[in-house]
Amino acid sequence: MNALWIARNTFREATRDRVMAGVLVAGLVLLAATQIMSPLALGEGVRLTVDLGLSGISLLGVLVVVMVGTSLVSKEIERRTIFNLLSRPIARPEYLLGKWIGLTGALWVVAAALGFALWLLLALRGQGAHGPSICEATYLAGLELSVISACAVLFSSLSTPILSALYTLGLIAVGQWSYDLRQFALHVPQPLGTLLSVTANVVPNFPLFNMRTLAAAGETTTLPHLAMATAYAVLYGGCVLSLAAAAFESRDFK
Amino acid sequence: MSVATGVMAVRRRMAIAWAIGLLFGAGAASLAAHAAHVLPPPRPLEELSYYPSGAHLEPASFGHAESAADLAWLRAVQYYGEHRATDSRFLRMAHVFDILTTLSPRFIDSYVFGAFALAQEGNDFPAAERLLQKGVEANPLNSELAFEMGFLYYVRPGGRDLPRAAEYFERAARLPNPPPTAARFAAFAHQQSGDLAVAYAMWADVRERSPNRYMRQIAEDEMSKIREALATGHIGVAVHKLSTPIVLLK
Amino acid sequence: MQSMSVVPASRPVPDRASGVQSDPAGLAVCARGLAKSYRNPWTLKVSRGLAPLDLEIERGQVLGLLGPNGAGKTTTLKLLTGLLKPTAGQAWLMGQPIESPESRRSLGFLPEQPYFYEYLSGLEYLEMAAGLCGIPGRDAGERARIWMHRVGLGERPALRLRKYSKGMLQRLGLAAALLHDPELIILDEPMSGLDPIGRRDVRDLILEQRDRGATVLFSSHILPDVEMLCDRVAIVLEGRLERVANVRDLLQEGRHSVEVHCSGVTMIEIPPAWGGQVTRRAVGDESTFVVEQEHLLNDVLAWLLRAGARVRSVAPQRSTLEELFLSAADARGERRSA
Repeated sequence: MNALWIARNTFREATRDRVMAGVLVAGLVLLAATQIMSPLALGEGVRLTVDLGLSGISLLGVLVVVMVGTSLVSKEIERRTIFNLLSRPIARPEYLLGKWIGLTGALWVVAAALGFALWLLLALRGQGAHGPSICEATYLAGLELSVISACAVLFSSLSTPILSALYTLGLIAVGQWSYDLRQFALHVPQPLGTLLSVTANVVPNFPLFNMRTLAAAGETTTLPHLAMATAYAVLYGGCVLSLAAAAFESRDFK
Repeated sequence: MSVATGVMAVRRRMAIAWAIGLLFGAGAASLAAHAAHVLPPPRPLEELSYYPSGAHLEPASFGHAESAADLAWLRAVQYYGEHRATDSRFLRMAHVFDILTTLSPRFIDSYVFGAFALAQEGNDFPAAERLLQKGVEANPLNSELAFEMGFLYYVRPGGRDLPRAAEYFERAARLPNPPPTAARFAAFAHQQSGDLAVAYAMWADVRERSPNRYMRQIAEDEMSKIREALATGHIGVAVHKLSTPIVLLK
Repeated sequence: MQSMSVVPASRPVPDRASGVQSDPAGLAVCARGLAKSYRNPWTLKVSRGLAPLDLEIERGQVLGLLGPNGAGKTTTLKLLTGLLKPTAGQAWLMGQPIESPESRRSLGFLPEQPYFYEYLSGLEYLEMAAGLCGIPGRDAGERARIWMHRVGLGERPALRLRKYSKGMLQRLGLAAALLHDPELIILDEPMSGLDPIGRRDVRDLILEQRDRGATVLFSSHILPDVEMLCDRVAIVLEGRLERVANVRDLLQEGRHSVEVHCSGVTMIEIPPAWGGQVTRRAVGDESTFVVEQEHLLNDVLAWLLRAGARVRSVAPQRSTLEELFLSAADARGERRSA
């Protein structure tokens, strides 16, 4: 399938761009730093390690999206490498799908590698029992990054790299507050309440992918949670990519 | 020449993509709303709970300690509201407000709200006292904090601490821009704690300075009671038995 | 619609009978009323990129798209290859409408000044190009290797494209355009920026593809190349297709004079019967007689020999494509000012 050729190409771009290597190194440095900070946490060193480690996966993943993902399509248009692809028998939505698969693949590699490193660190400290919770939390972080990368593909196909990065970061910030927006909507006067409620539904529901608190205590989450998070990632990602395809369909490449 | 079917083909594809997008979007929104009801709510405050103090968070906020404090404040208020409506357990509130006020030592409302929530609903007077004390030390010229400290002692569940209340009310009254009621409360607290001489002096001050005629009348009445109590030796004329405050948890 | 050539009334040379439209399925390229305009999103002003264009290219032909910079050649090619969306009209490639990706399955396209992914090696790029055209995985790799060698890049297949020279990139681009044996090849200014060896290689490649039976459409402003390679030529000026004609017919319709260079006839006078058909340029003892009509050549030679001239050379003069191009441009200018 053509999308897979594009995906392979995009994955190569992410990995050979040295961004991935830099991010992985930064992640490992962060994990090492947690061990230095652990004694200051008054007995909460394991919690500190897990939470910072998992936060690091999310934050470093976002860094990859901003540095690579937001210029994914716009750079190809700017450098005109897209001419070589779209003049072949590939539909434009296939092209975008391939871009997304490639970027998301790179993000899952980052998440899996850092998640594994985190578990290894804990195992060396005799806390290997955190394995299942780390695994689930890393899986959810991967889903979260998949949704973010879909947004990055959308913005990248519409706008310049800088604006795409700003839009993506803005959406991430608002999305982290989607649960709070729902709560605020219940307590404010009506037209504003409806607006907040709609916003809460439109922005990505990132708290759904956050089980860092549970993982910090070594607890796993429920199967319904994992199922809902997976289904949500598929639906939201599908929505965003479809809108990107709609916008891309009529785009001219001069 | 035929109609521009090439253009129509592009438009058709765009319409299909939009339709798919909206369908998926509606599904995602419904699922998110459903998840908000079915799944346990996120507990963002717990992310802060293992930090030993706000001092370690401040460097992590990269110069945005105030903004971090604001965000934490929003979450803290929500935490309070959720637990007040459900299990009335505020296990992490002291810690969270400690972090908040370390990040933003001049955030006056956070001291006041946190202290009274801890004292009343949280049933943790010592933590409330520590929090407000921290605020008073960090803002020595703030009369509102001194006043609220006095008030905290005044409404202490299980037994008012009138001497301390009087001390802080008086302190508030002597700071720049004091709350209008500070002097009156100081006089009243001194009086009720049995410190009639100081109370008399404070009422005299109120009678002199208060722009409110009723307040001046009240001050005159209380001064008269104190004179009578001192003259007759019946302290009860000027000192009343006040009710014992309890934890207000509805 | 610009489907017929603009020619002097005395000498109509239509390409095919007007009004007859062939079935797109049988043609390599068929465009009907294909047009592109741009609307400024702020002022809503519409500017024309390409006026409605009719074009038919039969399978196995080589057609050159001629025109100055900004004429609309690249716009035309990008509309056909799906990089630009038309605002009116339809087009088919190998019988498939251009809206469908299938229309590009048998297409090999080389854009002007091709750009590539710096982080890929030449081999990886060709492998991807093959894969995107439907060649399965292992075959794609094999095909890529073969073509790397064919274009002279096989020595270092793992070299990253960021280290390629301009000439190497052009050759790689050609390989990518041809490695899936396309039936239709579209090249946008394929010779631009190349040295003479590079241009020769591209010319040889186009001829090779033509001999293979592929259809070639390429744009250029290097007229001698077009004259040499093309069966037909389409002239595009200011966003409008001005003329489409066979190269052979165009050249025949043009000027066909003969120059006779001789000496020893300084005092000779041209017979009045030949009117303005024979003119003379003289430098010292040498004279050059320009015979405008070929059929007069034998008479002129006989006359010169009788006069005792020493004929040194007889050289036929054909009009070049350049002259025809310029005359079309002038005609357009006259129409605009009329």
